[in-house]
Amino acid sequence: MRVLKILGLFVLPTLLLPARPALARTVEAEVYGMTCAFCVDTLQREFKKMDSIASVDISLKSKMIRLQTEKDRPTIETIRQTIRDAGFTPEKITIIDKE
Amino acid sequence: MGLRSFVALPVDKQGTVVRLSFDHAGKTKKDQLVISAAHGISARQTFLLGMPYRLSPGGNNRLGDASFLYRQIWLQQDHINGTDRFAVLGGMLLSTEDNRDPAVQIGVVSTHFRDRYELDFDVLYQAGIAHRPDAARYDLSWQYRLAPTEYPKWGIAKEWYGVLELNGRWREGSSITHQVTAGIQWVHPTWVLEGGVIKDINSEKEFRYLMSLRYHF
Repeated sequence: MRVLKILGLFVLPTLLLPARPALARTVEAEVYGMTCAFCVDTLQREFKKMDSIASVDISLKSKMIRLQTEKDRPTIETIRQTIRDAGFTPEKITIIDKE
Repeated sequence: MGLRSFVALPVDKQGTVVRLSFDHAGKTKKDQLVISAAHGISARQTFLLGMPYRLSPGGNNRLGDASFLYRQIWLQQDHINGTDRFAVLGGMLLSTEDNRDPAVQIGVVSTHFRDRYELDFDVLYQAGIAHRPDAARYDLSWQYRLAPTEYPKWGIAKEWYGVLELNGRWREGSSITHQVTAGIQWVHPTWVLEGGVIKDINSEKEFRYLMSLRYHF
């Protein structure tokens, strides 16, 4: 019983943590029109709102965004539309690796 | 976006930017606080609102005229190293006091951004209704990224921009006043702190000082 209580102390915090999507895909998109830090923050925020995206990296140097996503979500078209709604132009989108 | 104008600001769909600015006139002490807000209806359509509050040394503080503008981006061409945009503006200037008539506003704004520099130009004409005189303004703003000289491979770095502007202000019955504005911007992903000095070129008026804070949410 005491052992169960101790195990519970370790397990309980993990149950309270938000569920992370099962990462299965890295997507990179070339984005035209990214011009400054203030402008591109929107992209980061909009993609981070999606529960199918675990991480978002932005490169103003190479004009790219890199997303760690679930296997099939979001769709490529959703990614394109999110970029357009932020005021930029999506160009080449590449799936880097897929489990 | 430059220091003196708000209409060149890019705003995303459903995004909102609020700016609080303080304009201080050194000798006459006629200061002004302005709250501006921009909301993106879509990536190409934006509502812009401006509300000044004039502070007078004699204590006769008052609200200025509220500016309402709609901006429609007509042309946008994004490039790997920048963007070109052209938009039209239309709206109203509404008085907050009964003894001032309103005005209709129309204008255009363009942005050219390449690599480390941005060039914005806007012109706005305010056609007075009834007894209100016509007025107009133009702003030509050049911003240059001072730092970082090179972006990191990944991540959004804080930036410093130098700003130099040529501005013009005209009111019916007076000649146009041309001004030079010089300043600096400290750009973070969600906020910008900026400030500058304004000097009339063709009149003897004093220096004015401008400071503002922009927040994006």
